[in-house]
Amino acid sequence: MKHKAVKIGITATVLVLALAGLMWSTLREGTEYYKHVDEVMVNPEAWQGKRLQLHGFVVRDSILRRRDSFDYRFEIQSKGKTLAAHYTGIVPDTFADDAEVVLKGTLEADGFHVAPNGVMAKCPSKYEANKSASSAPGTQ
Amino acid sequence: MASLGTFTLLAALVACAYAAAAAVAGARRGSSRLIESGIHAFYFVAALMTVASVLMVQAFVTNEYSIKYVAHYSDAAQPLIYKLSSYWGGLDGSILFWVFLLSAFGAGAVAANRARHRALIPYVVATLSIVELFFVFLMVVHKNPFDAFLVEVPPDGRGLNPLLQNPYMAIHPPALYVGFVGMAIPYAFAMAALITGRLDDSWLQAVRRWTMLSWLFLSFGLTLGMIWAYEVLGWGGYWGWDPVENAGLLPWFTATAFLHSLKVQERRGMLRVWNVSLVVTTFFLTIFGTFMTRSGIVQSVHAFGEDRQLAIMFSVFMVVVLNVSYGYIIYRLPLLRPRHELDSWVSRESAVLANNWLLLFAALFVLFATMFPTLSEAIGGERMAIGAPFFAKWTVPIGLVLLLLTGIGPLLGWRRPTAANLRGQLFWPAVAALVTGAAVTALRVPLWAAGICFALCAFVAAGIVQEFVRGALVRHRTAGIGVPAALASLIARSRRRYGGYVVHLGVALMFVGFAGTQFKIDVQALLKPGEQASAGAFVVRHDAVRVTDDGQKQMITAEVTVFRGGREVGKLHPARWLYRKHEQEPATEVAIRRGLASDLYIIMPGFELKDQSVSLQIIVNPLVSWIWVGFCVLALGALIALMPDRVFRFAAERAPEAAVASPPGR
Repeated sequence: MKHKAVKIGITATVLVLALAGLMWSTLREGTEYYKHVDEVMVNPEAWQGKRLQLHGFVVRDSILRRRDSFDYRFEIQSKGKTLAAHYTGIVPDTFADDAEVVLKGTLEADGFHVAPNGVMAKCPSKYEANKSASSAPGTQ
Repeated sequence: MASLGTFTLLAALVACAYAAAAAVAGARRGSSRLIESGIHAFYFVAALMTVASVLMVQAFVTNEYSIKYVAHYSDAAQPLIYKLSSYWGGLDGSILFWVFLLSAFGAGAVAANRARHRALIPYVVATLSIVELFFVFLMVVHKNPFDAFLVEVPPDGRGLNPLLQNPYMAIHPPALYVGFVGMAIPYAFAMAALITGRLDDSWLQAVRRWTMLSWLFLSFGLTLGMIWAYEVLGWGGYWGWDPVENAGLLPWFTATAFLHSLKVQERRGMLRVWNVSLVVTTFFLTIFGTFMTRSGIVQSVHAFGEDRQLAIMFSVFMVVVLNVSYGYIIYRLPLLRPRHELDSWVSRESAVLANNWLLLFAALFVLFATMFPTLSEAIGGERMAIGAPFFAKWTVPIGLVLLLLTGIGPLLGWRRPTAANLRGQLFWPAVAALVTGAAVTALRVPLWAAGICFALCAFVAAGIVQEFVRGALVRHRTAGIGVPAALASLIARSRRRYGGYVVHLGVALMFVGFAGTQFKIDVQALLKPGEQASAGAFVVRHDAVRVTDDGQKQMITAEVTVFRGGREVGKLHPARWLYRKHEQEPATEVAIRRGLASDLYIIMPGFELKDQSVSLQIIVNPLVSWIWVGFCVLALGALIALMPDRVFRFAAERAPEAAVASPPGR
């Protein structure tokens, strides 16, 4: 009985360690920092080149779209700090002046480069308590 | 009406408390009258919750806007069906609906098992009553759906979120809730068994069907959620690893594990601690999922209102559930000793064990990844986000190994199968897998993920077909009946086994659909009338933009013509609907051309009425339909396993009793 317990113990430990190691290594590539604009703008250089999920509000009247294309330029802000952003692609319905958005992408010297399909508009009124636990949506 | 509703809830609160107290006191004193009284109080709760539900539905149907909940989620223009589904469209109402289902389910389970499991019933009643008590308490003190406006009743309601005004959304929550709520029944029986110490397999027998039924509803609810996400949300996919979706998936993993390991306990008397733990974990995960999505602890794109008070109440309840349940399991460990040891690592038992570990690991992984942003903020101070690719990196290999086990498990015999037996069982399925693998490689399908997935699906399917064919042939020879009759009597004789195989077949088909994701094509185009864009094998021509109005909403519809191989194959109408009072939240109406090979999926995110130009997102989703087909097969299998005996009596009667021997390989 003791012998068996030792075997099970060792197997379990090895498995757990191996999985934890794997998890750790994949986590490092798989995660992104989730930051608000003002947090990033305290020291923008430190964040350049890192993958971020940037939370902020679209600055009013800042959305520009190149004619006959999906090229967007706009600014997002939070707590008075603003940042220019570039995006090519289709934007969600709720992307508009003052909308609360989360942008996926990287910070470069000329502003925030949003990854393809990286604009997620957050519309508090839309789902606020309006979602039951189950109504499982997957808006990306 | 509002005060009548609140009064009903208060009465339910008292009745729950009494039912629990009376049942426990009766069991301890051996007073059958007290137990009886507790059971009746328990039924009474179900009646009260039915009354509360009727009141709520009536409030919606009669546009009773003095009730805040009704004013918030309904309006006069809403069709009747969505007035009804508004009942569970919001937080407060969904809790009411939850308790209603739990009380109804609980009453059914108690009534069905009262005579057979007399000793367990008092504690079953007590456990269920306490769970109901918690949710009723939640409503009474914090989230009363019958809260009314004291002054200034609004003339019209705000209306249900347009995204939820969809037939799938009308049935998705009830299906998922039945699944969630149903998991409380096995939990209650497990707790009753632990408390009374009657840990033989009789409690398993009592809960087998309930678990199966709940599992079916859970699967149904998850699938409906996928269909809804696919057809309504309009981002071109069906699963985004969002916390809300994950919340539904977590108990599904552990419930699936339980349905498999249950069989091992019945057959071999092993995995007894494991089974009780799985039931407890499944129940805990249903509560945790509810907590996670309603308290705002996990941030998701769908901003749930943050609700600290609710979070605290749920936390306390969960801590109590965990401590009491696992405490009892540890206390009863001596009674839970296995009757047998594992004979061989190549056996049905060990395959089930491996499947259980994987499913549990999958649940833990999804839980961990879902909670990671919250955890990282709590521990490191930095909020880290995890994207869908990270989930895919882990779940794809897990899913493939599970698929492999799905195929191997049923082919292995119990205890210690012989080498010859293994060869005979595994030969044809392996051939099928290799042939499929070679074929898809020749078609230049990448081997990782999709290629392997197809090969494994072939493996599973071949194994199942082999089981059916061999079983039917044996019956055909020994009983001397025709092959179709032999097949029918085979299924009738062991419905759970052959129903299970059909479920496996459904799962394999769903995996075919999942693998299709790898070949998704996504094109974005800005088109003036007459211009066209191509995506994969399809060419899409934009013709015109129309604007119409039906009183409830304004509809802007694009007319596009679809060509394939130079031939016109149909017209599609992607649209944007602007609901009154929800103009700021236009609803996207996706246009889908379905096909078994691939779906053409068109969304119109933008339009310009001046020059009739539209921006279109054109997505080709290969094999998606197989997910829905696979689910139908899975449901059929589950229904076969659930069918009462008499449905199959006709088939069983044809085979003489002597001929009903198990086919070889068992």
